[in-house]
Amino acid sequence: MGIERVGTSDVEAVRRVLGGDTEAYATLVARYRDRLARYAVHMLGNREDAEEALQDAFVRAYRSLERCDDAARFGAWLYGILVNRCRTTGARAAKRGRVFVRDEAALNGVAHASTAEQTEGEDVVRWALARLTPEYREAFLLKHVEDLEYEEMARLTGASVSALKMRVKRAREQLQAILREAERV
Amino acid sequence: MFEPDEELIERVVRQLRRPVTVDAGLDARVMEQVRRLPARRAAGAAHAAWGWLTRPRTVPFLPLGALAVAAVFVAVVLWRPDRPSRPASVSEFGFVVVAPRATTVSLVGDFNDWDAARTPMQRVRKDESVWTAVIPLTPGRYRYAFLVDGVRWLADPAAPAARDDEYGAPSSVVTVGGS
Repeated sequence: MGIERVGTSDVEAVRRVLGGDTEAYATLVARYRDRLARYAVHMLGNREDAEEALQDAFVRAYRSLERCDDAARFGAWLYGILVNRCRTTGARAAKRGRVFVRDEAALNGVAHASTAEQTEGEDVVRWALARLTPEYREAFLLKHVEDLEYEEMARLTGASVSALKMRVKRAREQLQAILREAERV
Repeated sequence: MFEPDEELIERVVRQLRRPVTVDAGLDARVMEQVRRLPARRAAGAAHAAWGWLTRPRTVPFLPLGALAVAAVFVAVVLWRPDRPSRPASVSEFGFVVVAPRATTVSLVGDFNDWDAARTPMQRVRKDESVWTAVIPLTPGRYRYAFLVDGVRWLADPAAPAARDDEYGAPSSVVTVGGS
């Protein structure tokens, strides 16, 4: 899957925005909002920070749209901006000392009818994910949840493919250890 | 009985891949912000000039030139008035543990003299397995552990293990940085 080319729709919208049609940008925001939101919510652990990072990423992308060399890959380019915003927002949140925050609103945003057991399972997964270092969490989410190729991840994060493979491996090991421990208690 | 590791990760991934929706007002907020920015003009000479200015290009590398630039940079960085030292700041730290079968969980560590009575953890929700406690910490290195039902010591599975544990019970380490 990966960050696929959307084709002429993105190209046309980007061309219109660059041509002065600001309202055409709403199409791009609506198209990418939810997918990017999933990454931001899981990466940052709560909806408030995720929305802040997402909004910031969209506005920054608009301001620097001229630098998007290939409009057909607008999605991938936007993703790169969001990954950076999440790093900044996450670092700020860490400085505030928040290790893990349960987020009712984000859970309510999950578009599934949740049984109590399912909700608890999701809570445990989110808790376990929050225990990873930001680098491991970022690599795990991009690889396994967003389904990106390592080469694409390397372009987005600036890390080497071998470093990313190591991070994903360690993230998997740590998640397993954390969840096994939770099952034992 | 535990499921195999691959299945465990697949289950995690399935949960994380579920759609997440955010506030529908986000679109409006983004558009409100971009409308306030200076309007773009149709692509023309200015766009071409911007493209030329921002296009990545290869430049010849001259080591002496680079050294000169670096020397100036270092000089600028070093030439700063001394900043007054700031007092140690206190940060709120949240500790979280999943203990579905526990009746009570206490957070114990260097910060509360390992006294189980001083920092009881609370369930996040009444019928839930996630326990949490929030405490103020000044910068430093702290060993800590969770005490389940008053008898079972549990190290934080995701935090570094304490190597200098003289009590023989599992414990973890958290290092709180300065401001």
